[in-house]
Amino acid sequence: MIDIEHLTKRYGATTVVDDVSFRVEEGTVAVVVGTSGAGKSTLLRMINRLVEPSAGRVLIDGKDTMTIPEDELRHRIGYVIQGYGLFPHRTVAQNIATVPRLLGWDRRRIAARVEELLDLFQLDAAEFATKFPHQLSGGQQQRVGVARALAAKPAVLLMDEPFGALDPVIRGKAQDDLRAIQKRLGTTIMLVTHDMNEAFHLGDRIAVMDRARLLQYASPADILTHPAEAFVEELVGTTERPFRLLSLTTVQDALEPGSAEGQPVPLSASLRDALSQLIWLGRQALPVTDSSGAPVGRISVDRILRHGRADP
Amino acid sequence: MRAQAVLLRAAALLLLVAFVARPQLFAFAFEPLTANNASAIYDQGSLLALTLSHLRTVFLATLASSVLAVTLGVFVTRPFGQEFLPLSRSLVNIGQTFPPVAVLAIAVPLVGFGEKPTFIALFLYGLLPIFENTLTGLADVEPQTLEAAKGMGMNARQRLIQVELPLALPVILAGIRLSVIISLGTATIGSTVAAKGLGEVIIAGLQSNNVAFILQGGLVVALLAVLIHGGLAAVERAVARRLGRPAGAATSQPS
Ligand SMILES: Nc1ncnc2c1ncn2[C@@H]1O[C@H](COP(=O)(O)OP(=O)(O)OP(=O)(O)O)[C@@H](O)[C@H]1O
Ligand SMILES: [Mg+2]
Repeated sequence: MIDIEHLTKRYGATTVVDDVSFRVEEGTVAVVVGTSGAGKSTLLRMINRLVEPSAGRVLIDGKDTMTIPEDELRHRIGYVIQGYGLFPHRTVAQNIATVPRLLGWDRRRIAARVEELLDLFQLDAAEFATKFPHQLSGGQQQRVGVARALAAKPAVLLMDEPFGALDPVIRGKAQDDLRAIQKRLGTTIMLVTHDMNEAFHLGDRIAVMDRARLLQYASPADILTHPAEAFVEELVGTTERPFRLLSLTTVQDALEPGSAEGQPVPLSASLRDALSQLIWLGRQALPVTDSSGAPVGRISVDRILRHGRADP
Repeated sequence: MRAQAVLLRAAALLLLVAFVARPQLFAFAFEPLTANNASAIYDQGSLLALTLSHLRTVFLATLASSVLAVTLGVFVTRPFGQEFLPLSRSLVNIGQTFPPVAVLAIAVPLVGFGEKPTFIALFLYGLLPIFENTLTGLADVEPQTLEAAKGMGMNARQRLIQVELPLALPVILAGIRLSVIISLGTATIGSTVAAKGLGEVIIAGLQSNNVAFILQGGLVVALLAVLIHGGLAAVERAVARRLGRPAGAATSQPS
């Protein structure tokens, strides 16, 4: 859990982060979005004290970060930056082992942890452990960057545009993987991005920043349906709104009793995907099946459209 | 290409060892250069001994330059030493621009004749390339790499030793190589102040107007330079490889 209280950063006369407060609940993902120069990175870097706040404070699991020596604090907080900052002179295994080594773990424990993480990030240890960063693709480097940040099992992970350098296809997959790993490990994540789609895809909560101020901190659906300011509405993209809303909702929430003809839609699919399939197949309704493949009802265009309205 | 370079170097090494150990074997080659029945091969001392003490002076001077230049380079790139950067640059530059001969002239009254004034001249002369390369090597470390190191909780010393210096090492080594090569040639002037070295052979040739001697001194120095240059370049490449650099990305190209 991260508590940000009245956090402020000034450089000379300019205020770069202005009295920002919010809480990231244990095991959730908070995404900070905003235009360039809004102060997102500065806010993030104040959490692991790469930037010293001018005012306000940060508590991690209730503990004021100023009471923890800064290196020790950073050992406990995973940190991933755009471009990953992998050490070019160290192998993948050595990169991942960075924090455990700083913490003085014994050799065997480090080796076991490295293997575990390579496995978790679908990197074959035999092939990748001894490779150098320049021998990896962008997507592989990204995974090593996150694996390295998670090596010492931090409760909190900070990510500054971690997918910014990836092409769209790999980016989507990397986001899905991150979400899956986050769910599995229960890590609390604060992630900075420019990309609205990414914010809606990953965030349990979204913090919208503009010119040093936090404009709104709310769930994705609230950001869409109750934007606090015109700027938030604009940033979200008015034409995208219904579609974003549909991608936040699953078929389960719009399920109707009954049956329909055609290729079944899984219960866990988003309404956006379901609608896309309905349009494509030219149908008004399709059957819905659960994870075992058993029919559980149907989904209709009417019902989906109702979920995409401002006031359902 | 590669095999040819190795072969060439092996030949140079063989030639050097043979010549230094048994110079008389090569008398036939130098006889045409002598006049009035002067001896064709330097005979006022052992070439081997002169070569070894020449190397010793160069080695010690470069070692001292390296230690000081790298330390200074690290110091002026730390937050607490930044203000000394311009001063250090000027001092090191003076060391390079002040002619070694003049250094000898000043040093002799202070430390006497022999190896010491030569050592001082070479030491000062060798600082600049190592210092500048240390600065370049450290400046070339990606800011992102440093940010990551800091963000993962490395303290300033750990960042220097585990990240900055290893990444700068190939460039620093290239500076050291340059300094060694410059010193090898420059060390010959040490003989004007009675330091044991290959300059003796050249000076003896100048004094007795014996071209053969001059050539022999020059030849040994040149062979040493070629071999040491090649050897150090190979070390740099090996280091760069161990540090995960793609082949050829290090500063030095195969020579
Ligand atoms: N060390 C510094 N000194 C002075 N100003 C700074 C410093 N670091 C950041 N700033 C200023 O603070 C503002 C916010 O920077 P920050 O990097 O937090 O923005 P950001 O929201 O992350 O932008 P981007 O999306 O482009 O990464 C910018 O105007 C920047 O110029
Ligand atoms: Mg930023």
